[in-house]
Amino acid sequence: MTTTAPEVSTVAVAPAPATRRWRRLTPWGVLLLAAAAGLGLQTQLYTGQERTVTTVLMYVGLAAAWNLIGGFAGYACFGQVGFFGLGGYTTAVLMVHLRWSFWLALPVAAVFVGLFALLVGLPLLRLKGHYFAVATLGVAEGLREVVINTSSLTGGGAGITIPSFGDAVTPWLGNDGFYLLFLGLAVAVVATGLLVARTRSGYALRAIHQDEDAAAAMGVNTTLTKTLAFAGSAVLTGAIGAAYAFQQVTFYPDRLFDVEITVLMVVMVILGGAGTVVGPVIGAVVVAYGSEYLRQHLPTVHTLVLGALIVVAVILLPQGFVNYLREATRQRQFSLLENVRRYRL
Amino acid sequence: MSQFAQVTIYGLLQGGLLALVAVGFSLVWGVMNVVNLAHGAFVITGAYVAWEINRAVGLDPFLAMIPTAVVLFALGYVIQRGLVNLVVNAPIFITLLLTFGLNLLLVNGMILRYKANYQSIPTSYATQSLVLPGDVRVPYGRLIAAVIAVALTLALAWAVRRTRLGLSILATGMDRGAARLMGIRAAHVYAVTFGLAAAMAGMAGAAVGTVSTFSPADAGRFTLFSFVAAVLGGLGNMYGALYGGLLLGLVEAWGGNLLPNTLVNAVAFAVVVIVLAVRPQGLAGRAFYASRVEV
Amino acid sequence: MRLKLAVIVALALTVAGCGSKGEQTTNNTPTGTLTIGASLSSTGSLAREGILTKEGYDVCVNVVNGKGGVQVGNQKMKLEIKYQDDTSKSDLAGQLMDQFNDGGLKLILGPYGSGATAAAAASVERNGQVMVDSSGADDAIFTKGYKRTFAVLSPATLYATSMVEAINELATPKPTSIAFISADDGFSKTATTAAVARAQALGFTVIPPEYVPNGTTDVSSALTKIKPANPDVIIGSAHLAEGVAIVKQSTELGVKPKGFAETVAPPTPDFVQALSKSAEGVLGSTQWTIKTKGTDKWFGSASDYAKTFAGQFNGREVEYHGAEATAACLALVLAVEKAGSTDPTKVRDTLAGLNEQSFFGPIKFNDKGQNLTKTMGVIQIQNGKPVSVWPKDAAEAPMKWPGNAA
Repeated sequence: MTTTAPEVSTVAVAPAPATRRWRRLTPWGVLLLAAAAGLGLQTQLYTGQERTVTTVLMYVGLAAAWNLIGGFAGYACFGQVGFFGLGGYTTAVLMVHLRWSFWLALPVAAVFVGLFALLVGLPLLRLKGHYFAVATLGVAEGLREVVINTSSLTGGGAGITIPSFGDAVTPWLGNDGFYLLFLGLAVAVVATGLLVARTRSGYALRAIHQDEDAAAAMGVNTTLTKTLAFAGSAVLTGAIGAAYAFQQVTFYPDRLFDVEITVLMVVMVILGGAGTVVGPVIGAVVVAYGSEYLRQHLPTVHTLVLGALIVVAVILLPQGFVNYLREATRQRQFSLLENVRRYRL
Repeated sequence: MSQFAQVTIYGLLQGGLLALVAVGFSLVWGVMNVVNLAHGAFVITGAYVAWEINRAVGLDPFLAMIPTAVVLFALGYVIQRGLVNLVVNAPIFITLLLTFGLNLLLVNGMILRYKANYQSIPTSYATQSLVLPGDVRVPYGRLIAAVIAVALTLALAWAVRRTRLGLSILATGMDRGAARLMGIRAAHVYAVTFGLAAAMAGMAGAAVGTVSTFSPADAGRFTLFSFVAAVLGGLGNMYGALYGGLLLGLVEAWGGNLLPNTLVNAVAFAVVVIVLAVRPQGLAGRAFYASRVEV
Repeated sequence: MRLKLAVIVALALTVAGCGSKGEQTTNNTPTGTLTIGASLSSTGSLAREGILTKEGYDVCVNVVNGKGGVQVGNQKMKLEIKYQDDTSKSDLAGQLMDQFNDGGLKLILGPYGSGATAAAAASVERNGQVMVDSSGADDAIFTKGYKRTFAVLSPATLYATSMVEAINELATPKPTSIAFISADDGFSKTATTAAVARAQALGFTVIPPEYVPNGTTDVSSALTKIKPANPDVIIGSAHLAEGVAIVKQSTELGVKPKGFAETVAPPTPDFVQALSKSAEGVLGSTQWTIKTKGTDKWFGSASDYAKTFAGQFNGREVEYHGAEATAACLALVLAVEKAGSTDPTKVRDTLAGLNEQSFFGPIKFNDKGQNLTKTMGVIQIQNGKPVSVWPKDAAEAPMKWPGNAA
């Protein structure tokens, strides 16, 4: 039996087979179109702008990866940057000490991060809510401290430099090369999100989000599903971390394990719409581009304004832009204050 | 041996101060299920208030704790009633993000006003020490701060069980719906709780300003330590943060002594993760609070 | 519904992909302005030092333009600096170099701090720009084979070593044992390692250095470990927070060396403000003091520079952060004048061969881009003010020993 599109329809009639096939394929077509658009955009940008867009693409990938565990499954992982940094540092260590090629180091690092997530996820995914958030935060901070204290391997507080010119095994990819790499990674992550959203595993994750006990009663193997989502999200984040590490060439633990990166990811997903596929993309583009714009034009007060904007956005739009749009068009009610009325005491 | 005694005493004193920082955080989390990521910012605000009072009228910072507490209580009440109240029913991400945005506002506001310089409130006695046998030193400043912390925690525990306001806080924390049905104004009670938490954070800030240095950049660190202490001690028990803070202080002191000093933070986080994996309700907490997702 | 939204988004992106590139902005042509790019930390944890660095750059611009501008060939050009905020994040600093490159800005003044400078240096090397570094002292930046970054300031290896030398030369009775407390970031560790080696070479007993987490305000574990060895001197290789903690907690814990010395913190006013009387007698190392020897045609001598700075900033005393920033700008201006051109490669080659005196001391770069010809100064807090005590011929007052009155 083929699965229908996940949108809940009020009329209980299944659409004809031809429509169903279109419904299934169109999202992939859209993704392809977006990828093509990204390639086209590259030809229009100067180096500095290109780097900005590359950063935006990086955040699209990160947000979509976080969405797998945080949006679909509802487990607020506040230690996501730990996977990011671990991926980056593993790549750096492999390229510096073992002189591996970047193209070998990236997948190996990503898999390593996934295994680490499996290991850590088994005990931690038994926790819920804030406790899970604190535990994952503890893991991320702990990873940073470990990196700082293993300076013979990682350079510690003095940072590490990946060989990128001269006799380096892989020369630096260039701003164009990294743009393509991050674009590819972003497309891969969003594709994974699409796959998850439209298959049984996606239903299982969403069921866990809504009511874990009921899902278990319905036969969902909650432990396996959660852990796979956690590990999958980690693998993708680790891959992006690896790419970032090579792009930066020289980096320090404080930056690669910065908790602000996690928070930005969470803000992007929530504001865009958690649990949707398009939501994190929109959220990432808006927030990343917005904060860069603010930084350029309001040099001293941009973080202040960003904080104010986050507060306002979270109060008025807690379900995220995409979900708001969907409900508003369905109910023909566009008032933002409705949210406030719903959630206030 | 005396090195061990020195390290233990210093760790306990440090832990007492951390407990004062954490007790408000733990209270808000237990009663409202709100994790206040701006808690560290309240601590630093309190430190600045005490510093300004000290600069303006020369009042001793431990005495300045009282006006600091009043100012921070008012600030916390207003913030809760006006902002946090709007999202109290929302999923946890929302409250986390709201308090994060608030944190950005407060910290960057302070950076704009005061620059990111490190400040300290100098006193003549804070760095002098009581000398115990074996040349073990007990610094007066830290001793006073720790004593105040323990006293305040005990006072809070007493007040929560003996006064009407305290009982209504407890009741609202257990079951908001039932409490409202009994005639308790939940919005006001929540605001008072938040205000109390902010006031205690402010007092802790005044103490921190006296015994060491502070800067807006430290706010995140205090929030993190509050997390750790609250988790270690457990929610649902007024003494939880006290136990958690003392334990954290001891662990850091012993860890710093037995292992290279740079591993101190790693040890603290390892302890948190292990405690959460093995006994999520912490040392003294109630299991109900550990598995609670909604209030 | 979400599908429709997704389609709209994708089409919008595609549309954005078409269309033509806008005009690239260029500079340095008919308008007669020499524009330099500088990315600084105006916000974030390094905001204070970033702002001090900006002040130094601004003084340079004012003085140079006040004297008619920069002589490039047979044209006088007005000096201008375009600033961007790197929010104290090193990766952003690297990105901003690329943005400057897009705007045609090839001449760069360094950001604040070794981390940001290292990231910027990597970008500068790739883009063919030229950067003069005002505050990135870590030697690690200069071991990577970069040819386009030049540092006017003395490298990290001298920060603590200079104080060891000063103690060796001036402290009577001469101390026998030295203990080091170091933060674990690259710059501090480099400074410590070099100083330990020098101290051992000079015959001091060196207690194994204790490392503390960068930015900590609690160094009690390090002090408790050092206490039984009863060192004569404690040298702190760290920043302000750790520096203040070392002095404060030593008093608390009963650690009583004959003197304290610290790398970065003592010359700054915050140090004295935080410690009040306990700061008396603490030694500090600095890139520049008001007694530094050397003059140049733009700023005169060190005391002339101090007067100029005070005049521009309401009588405020200048710190070494401002001085090193102005010196970096000065080096760039001198190189452009000597090269007679703003072409980055010509300027780079001129910088490599530069050999000038200045209010900041001698400016001459070795083949790695470091300035090893100038010495650092050592100051001591006397009566609440930093006073230079070493080298002897640039001293304002004799060194008081023991420094620690407690």
